[in-house]
Amino acid sequence: MINVGIAGFGQSKFVTKRTDVTFPELVKEGADLTLADAGIPIEDVDAFVYPLAPDALIGVSQGERWVIDALGASGKPFMRVNNGGATGMSAVLTAWTHIASGMFDVVLVAGADRVSESGSAQSVLNKMWDTGYERTVPLNTITMLALSAQRYMHLYDSTEADMALVTVKNRAHAALNPNAHLRTPITVEEVLASRTLAWPIKLGDACPASTGAAGVVLVSERYAKAHGLTPAWIRGIGQNTETFWMGNRVGPTAASDHGDADALAVAFQVAYTQAGITDPRSQIDVAEIYSPFSSVELHVIEAAGLADKGKAPLALSQGKFALGSDGPIVNPSGGVLCTNPIAVTGTIRVGEAANQVRNRAGAYQVPGARVAVASAIGGDHQFYSTMVLSTDLEEI
Amino acid sequence: MTNPIQQEQTEAQKNASPVFFEQTWDLEYRHALGSTTSRFMQGLTEGKILGRKTTKGRVLVPARSFDDETHSATGEWIEVGTTGKIVMSTVVYEPFRGLPAPPYAIAYVMLEGADTALVGYVRGVELSDQATAVKAIAIGTDVVVHFAAKPTGTAADYWFEPAGV
Amino acid sequence: MFDTSTAALKAAGLTAKNIDGIVLSGNDQIDGRVIGIMASAGPTGGVNRDTTMTASAGDHALAYGYLRLKAGQGKNVLVVGWAKPSESKDPDRVELMSAEPYLLRQVGMNQTIAAALQSSVWVAQGVEKGSPDATVWPLAKNDLPGRGDSVHAAVLAVDGAFPEGSELAWILDAGWATVSYEIGARDLGDLASLRAALGQIATRNPDAAPEHWDAVEIAGDSEQAVRATVRMLDISDNVEVNGSGSLSEQLTSPHVAGLGRMMAAIRSVGKSQSPNDSSAKARMTAGIGFNGFAGQGASVMVFSSSKEKSND
Repeated sequence: MINVGIAGFGQSKFVTKRTDVTFPELVKEGADLTLADAGIPIEDVDAFVYPLAPDALIGVSQGERWVIDALGASGKPFMRVNNGGATGMSAVLTAWTHIASGMFDVVLVAGADRVSESGSAQSVLNKMWDTGYERTVPLNTITMLALSAQRYMHLYDSTEADMALVTVKNRAHAALNPNAHLRTPITVEEVLASRTLAWPIKLGDACPASTGAAGVVLVSERYAKAHGLTPAWIRGIGQNTETFWMGNRVGPTAASDHGDADALAVAFQVAYTQAGITDPRSQIDVAEIYSPFSSVELHVIEAAGLADKGKAPLALSQGKFALGSDGPIVNPSGGVLCTNPIAVTGTIRVGEAANQVRNRAGAYQVPGARVAVASAIGGDHQFYSTMVLSTDLEEI
Repeated sequence: MTNPIQQEQTEAQKNASPVFFEQTWDLEYRHALGSTTSRFMQGLTEGKILGRKTTKGRVLVPARSFDDETHSATGEWIEVGTTGKIVMSTVVYEPFRGLPAPPYAIAYVMLEGADTALVGYVRGVELSDQATAVKAIAIGTDVVVHFAAKPTGTAADYWFEPAGV
Repeated sequence: MFDTSTAALKAAGLTAKNIDGIVLSGNDQIDGRVIGIMASAGPTGGVNRDTTMTASAGDHALAYGYLRLKAGQGKNVLVVGWAKPSESKDPDRVELMSAEPYLLRQVGMNQTIAAALQSSVWVAQGVEKGSPDATVWPLAKNDLPGRGDSVHAAVLAVDGAFPEGSELAWILDAGWATVSYEIGARDLGDLASLRAALGQIATRNPDAAPEHWDAVEIAGDSEQAVRATVRMLDISDNVEVNGSGSLSEQLTSPHVAGLGRMMAAIRSVGKSQSPNDSSAKARMTAGIGFNGFAGQGASVMVFSSSKEKSND
């Protein structure tokens, strides 16, 4: 069993637009920051896995080919992953496979996104849906999650104020993260007063359309030892898939409800089993778990086993999961709610979790963090990736 | 001593604002619907909502040729009811380029005899006041399927309206 | 996709429930989808399973499936690649969108034009002649790959996870590489990406190098590119090249052309072994695919009727 670690994490400061660079230049920025953070020269990189979700958002089909030079990848093994919003983490899992196969020692996963480059992001994302049945209704990422938020409130008698607690927590965290996109602290009242996009999702419940670059570099244990590196070790990984059809996720014969994230819970369990985690609430110090909207974090916390189903709102109202509280801290970086450059958002979760267990998270470091979990979501709550990281290779 | 041309360029660069280049993807598609989806669309012109039964006896609406959860082909065509209850819904207030002008309501409806919910617009509901609108399309609301008088052979040929209005 | 995946699983005596992972590959712009894995995970048996879309090329998906098994991620994996250009009103225009927007898109570029530019280099070298019936000089229609809709599905499994002797082929090794995007920065006739991919195999597993191959299937962007590949491989005339058919005879689409040839190479492993010759040596074949304009990327996978000499 080959151990694989995260030896470096680089990210640019995330903003709405970067008018000073082309897309390849932006990618290069992220790749350079990542390798510099790891102290690994480009010559040592054996292979590349490139995260890119919709090509339409950057305006170049098979856009991965365009950035080979920006990555320093010319002449080397290279492939691209597209698992929708989970892309950034699926790419890291693909890189893990490269090293665990024994064929490669150092793999770079670095990319970028500029979601607001195209003014038509939601129109582009409308094309995710079934051509015959779902294009005439304006489904997109906002409406699909509005429906999920409504189901959660219906199942568990929760309110929009409960959703707002997530935004309050994450913005306070992001205020400490110099790379985050939305960093202004906010109150529950301000979230509730913000304009409605698709009920119950308001502007204060939604992630921004971010532009920026990020990357992580993975190393084998033998490379780490040979070069005196102390990476964050990957102890468990999981991926699972839910049905594409949102209409299948309701009713008495449904396998699971659109208000829950049961398929994600399975993916977490797979990673936990590999890592030897039996009690997430006591064994996990940090959770960087992908939640583009406030409502999503409620059921992701529950899927991660950090609260019982329907009980995340109560825990949040008691101050749990916030920096400074006891128990697992959820999204100390501010999470996806504060920064969402789609193609690399999943990569950032891994990088942030890795920095936490390596004690490099600066102002938003969770003291003594040793075990972290990261997750990502793609499609219409359809694709899930999970990963457990720890400081050392000892039993968790 | 600096090269005067170099100096000039640096001044120009300092004063330059970012340059942009506009591009549009104008890609056109002609999506094959296949026989199952085509039959569903045909059903709409006949005032029917059609589903297909899975190997486990679940009726999938809209009709699909296979069930992705069991990875098996579906069989019997089942005509489901044109009344049902809303199971998920939202009202959209934000305009998005390329999508319809707001406000509009969409819902997933579990029709009588179906095991999965069908998505569509909800019409005939006053949407200007958010609180009233949200209540009017709440989970559990009874709705009726309406069919277009002049069908186009697409999913635009049906929508939902509150029952008993 | 549903039909092909079901057939592949059934041929392996499996259903979706017995599969430990699924690797998919499609081109969103050709199909007219955004995040194509959403629509393709279901039909390929991906619900309740670990699915990944390796979107750069169909042959990358096959290589990644192979890596997964080497990494111990389960005992088997289903790899499915497809392209449905009939959904596009203008597939060549889709390829134009792969051109970077600042300069190349203005000039106009697609796989065919890039293949022609590449072939012009060999004409200049005197190795090829321009065709008098050139549709895009120097290439004639018959020099170019056929176009059509296709789906390819393969079940890979580790030794011991399936009935002995039921395998179609063993995978000995896989090499892949991509070079610079800038057409002007490359010698298009040089096939640098292929050289790098072959080099990986030669370094890691010399027993799987081209000199040991009995047959090879090459998804060139043109017949001229196929001939240039054969020159680089430096193989004997006994080696069968594209036994499954010429480029124009195989209806495919650039995204899966390489995967299609990998499949043909797998199928040809079993053929022409004389059943009476007990001393027959193992038959070794290879599939070669290219991706991007004028072979920016290349993949090589080597297959054998024997599991000896595998890269383990």
